[in-house]
Amino acid sequence: MMEWTSKRSVIRMNGDKFRRFVKAPPRNYSVVIMFTALQPQRQCGVCRQADEEFQVLANSWRYSSAFTNKVFFASVDFDEGSDVFQMLNMNSAPTFLHFPSKGKPRRSDTYELQVRGFAAEQLARWVADRTDVQIRVIRPPNYAGPLLLGFLLAVIGGLAYLRRNNLEFLFNKNCWAFSALCFVLIMTSGQMWNHIRGPPYAHKNPSTGQVSYIHGSSQAQFVAETHIVLLFNAAVTMGIVLLCEAATSDIDIGKRKIMCVAGMVLVMLFFSWLLSIFRAKYHGYPYSFLIN
Amino acid sequence: MAEPVTVSDNKHKSQVNSGASYSGNGRSSAAAAERSSGGSGSSSGAGAAGGGLSGGLTQPAGWQSLLSFTILFLAWLAGFSSRLFAVIRFESIIHEFDPWFNYRSTHYLSSNGFYEFLNWFDERAWYPLGRIVGGTVYPGLMVTAGLIHYVLNLLHITVHIRDVCVFLAPVFSGLTSISTFLLTRELWNQGAGLLAACFIAIVPGYISRSVAGSFDNEGIAIFALQFTFYLWVKSVKSGSVFWAIGCCLSYFYMVSAWGGYVFIINLIPLHVFVLLLMQRFSRRVYIAYSTFFIIGLVLSMQVPFVGFQPIRTSEHMAAAGVFVLLQVYAFLQYLKDRLTRQEFQTLFFLGVSLAAGVVFLSVIYLTYTGYIAPWSGRFYSLWDTAYAKIHIPIIASVSEHQPTTWVSFFFDLHILVCTFPAGLWFCIKNINDERVFVALYAISAVYFAGVMVRLMLTLTPVVCMLSAVAFSCVFEHYLGDDMKRQSPPAEDSSDEDDRKNAGNLYDKAGKVRKHVSEQEKAEEGLGPNVKSIVTMLMLMLLMMFAVHCTWVTSNAYSSPSVVLASYNHDGSRNILDDFREAYYWLRQNTEEHARVMSWWDYGYQIAGMANRTTLVDNNTWNNSHIALVGKAMSSNETAAYDIMRSLDVDYVLIIFGGVIGYSGDDINKFLWMVRIAEGEHPRDIRESDYFTPQGEFRVDKAGSPTLLNCLMYKMSYYRFGEMQLDFRTPPGFDRTRNAEIGNKDIKLKHLEEAFTSEHWLVRIYKVKKQENRDRVEHKLRSSNANKQKYTSKKTSKRKRGYIRNKLSLKKGKKLQKKFL
Repeated sequence: MMEWTSKRSVIRMNGDKFRRFVKAPPRNYSVVIMFTALQPQRQCGVCRQADEEFQVLANSWRYSSAFTNKVFFASVDFDEGSDVFQMLNMNSAPTFLHFPSKGKPRRSDTYELQVRGFAAEQLARWVADRTDVQIRVIRPPNYAGPLLLGFLLAVIGGLAYLRRNNLEFLFNKNCWAFSALCFVLIMTSGQMWNHIRGPPYAHKNPSTGQVSYIHGSSQAQFVAETHIVLLFNAAVTMGIVLLCEAATSDIDIGKRKIMCVAGMVLVMLFFSWLLSIFRAKYHGYPYSFLIN
Repeated sequence: MAEPVTVSDNKHKSQVNSGASYSGNGRSSAAAAERSSGGSGSSSGAGAAGGGLSGGLTQPAGWQSLLSFTILFLAWLAGFSSRLFAVIRFESIIHEFDPWFNYRSTHYLSSNGFYEFLNWFDERAWYPLGRIVGGTVYPGLMVTAGLIHYVLNLLHITVHIRDVCVFLAPVFSGLTSISTFLLTRELWNQGAGLLAACFIAIVPGYISRSVAGSFDNEGIAIFALQFTFYLWVKSVKSGSVFWAIGCCLSYFYMVSAWGGYVFIINLIPLHVFVLLLMQRFSRRVYIAYSTFFIIGLVLSMQVPFVGFQPIRTSEHMAAAGVFVLLQVYAFLQYLKDRLTRQEFQTLFFLGVSLAAGVVFLSVIYLTYTGYIAPWSGRFYSLWDTAYAKIHIPIIASVSEHQPTTWVSFFFDLHILVCTFPAGLWFCIKNINDERVFVALYAISAVYFAGVMVRLMLTLTPVVCMLSAVAFSCVFEHYLGDDMKRQSPPAEDSSDEDDRKNAGNLYDKAGKVRKHVSEQEKAEEGLGPNVKSIVTMLMLMLLMMFAVHCTWVTSNAYSSPSVVLASYNHDGSRNILDDFREAYYWLRQNTEEHARVMSWWDYGYQIAGMANRTTLVDNNTWNNSHIALVGKAMSSNETAAYDIMRSLDVDYVLIIFGGVIGYSGDDINKFLWMVRIAEGEHPRDIRESDYFTPQGEFRVDKAGSPTLLNCLMYKMSYYRFGEMQLDFRTPPGFDRTRNAEIGNKDIKLKHLEEAFTSEHWLVRIYKVKKQENRDRVEHKLRSSNANKQKYTSKKTSKRKRGYIRNKLSLKKGKKLQKKFL
């Protein structure tokens, strides 16, 4: 088995091998097996993700300095070893099982996929739990991010170089002001919270099928909700700007009056709307304005 | 820190109490609203009076300064009085957790003197390590309070140091509003300045850290921050060394007061750097920054806690880098006069990029070789937002280090959060040197506030300033009459001229009605109707803002959290004073050097109120020590006893909210204890053991056995199973988690209950001394042998190794034949 591992960090097994190396009792190693269904016709997207994580884990074990023959990583594909699946009474994939070197697998030798997820770090902790082998997960560095950034910078640089005769847009205050405003609005509408916590876009009530975009508690939020708030904030801001423009710009009076009224309506309508959303979320808040 | 607790409290309060609190406070809120509108010069009373009298007076400037003085004074008063809810409802006490430490050290300072304070080694904290307080604290707050106390006593005004501490933050809020006024006046105009001062006096985002009793660094630091920025802007504008030195002194005060000074030392170089990029370099900037950097650096190193950090840590390197860059830039500018244009251009770009490269590489090199410490975890977690969650659970565990939802933005800033982007827009559209500064301030602060709830505090001042700019823009155009616009059209289109004679803001207000007859002339303007409607609506928004601020202050930010209050259905109030009851018990009934183990949240309070030695406290500098306490709490009793004995623990104090439904108790914090313990002792503690197989954290029967037998669970629910709170619920029903506890029959072997407060909120256990003689667990090995020996005399058949048909001789009988 050492030989196989030196070739591939995850040993692929079929029913025959499984019986020989895992089921046959005298062993001085334990085996962590992923039961999976990777064939394209099975259409198991989770399996593929789990497989990647499992590979990461096995590779970090394979190439670590502490590598011994105490633990082996193996996988059994449903289409290659369906008899194994039958033997173990399994009907779902992916499943991670640990076969200890001594004794029968117990309940805790089945990895709780639903609870802990299949991140390689979690798997490593579980393996450390079961086998006393500490594996430091080393992910192959992800080059996509820096590459993309480099590409983007190159494109921007190239564009700037091509248009070096008119770099006016760098001195355009509107452009800068607009991007600053975008940033501020993104931040104040709680997108950073979304980024860190990763909430769902909206919540669909399974029994009634009703979709709620606003989270009921003030401690959490949905993505949709933050987008709404962003728009409302932007509308109020625009209203204020319009009000000022109406008073100062040089265009004819009719248009300015329209601008002024539009600004006023924007400010009032969207602010009171925002207030009503806030009121719905923050229970016991007594004040409202125009919209209840 | 306060939020999760207070919010749950408020749900109670708001229904019953809002009416009462409102009437009690209606005056100040209405006054505040009036004032904030007055700031823009629209207050009809003031305006009319001003108009009437100024007809005779030829000095509008005098009226103007009088008005601004009055408005600032009233803003101070409103800000001060709206921070007094907690004092009026409860009493003049120190709030929460950190303020207790600050109070304790201020007390030490005022009774022992400054030098003693700097050398203070506190053996009551972090047993057995102790803490060098003088070297690990920002002394600005204590020194300020101590100084005020000293001066007052010198004047024979005898106040207790506690009262000085309680009222320090509200007083400083007034100073903050004045410095905000000054800063905004430099950025925009006086009207905006007054509005900004009124906003910051009552905005909840700032009140949250500066209510009476919240004696914390932030209370004075925001003043120092704003004042430093004002002086910086002033020195950039004037280019005089005088203002730059003033800026340095103010910066020094800030460094001595709060760790947030790092924000200043990065923002000001950023400002200079962006000015360089925008080719707005001038002598003024050069003088201001060079002075500021050098003197500021030297001064900041005088604070013992900061020490050599400004030259040894990465957080400060940006300032040094910009300083070098500025010198190179200035030198090249100087060369400009000596060289031809062509030569200069090549040299310039070469020189600047070379300098930038050299600075960057040397910083990297020095970091690599260890002369400069890399970014500390707290700062690093601001950029890589997932960092703390994975690597430093103790930072992630604090509720104020969580990211900010839009609700808390709106809650803390209300209308300002929607209008301040407009102010930013105006600032960038009419950019100049100092508006670059405020734009950078806004953008960086809004980023930090998005990452951490706590940093909302640094965002609040800039939001107030920019919103004031937006409102003042609107009022400026809609309050004045149309006459002005008509007569000199060219002059009016530019804002600059309008801004210079800000006097018109005050004098012309309230005159809109008088000019109705001249409506036909005003054809070019928007007309008085539209204008007055807009004005009314804006005033309405401001009024709502004032009302909101008062409500939020009263309901969310005025709870001392040392004393809790609950409200009955008829509106009467119950005070739950369990914390102080328990700490007082500790103070009176335990030996003076007794060591109390608790979770770190309560360390400062135990030290401050009970005056007993603690193991860990809110200054979370030693993670492994905290992890050890966490391990003790989350292991079973025997294992915990070993840890507690090795740490010499005499008492264990826990907070239990199950009886009254207090949500901030130790069982709810328990998972963090487990996580922190797991970080240091992964072999003994595993988080997954404390969950049910379904991954839930439950305290009832379905909960995991590890949880049901750990020390924290046992101490929390000891004898709770006997208690029936309500007829509708079974005995042992936990109101906080709405569950019947799973382990009702709890026996403690190494601990004994020493004290439980009235509502069971605080429970104290005494750790038993080890017994003289080891009591043997199991029964002594039963003396079977003896027994058998005894019985064997009578019935020999029970003898061991009995052979059935063994011959037994008996005297006097002859039975042998029969057998044979």
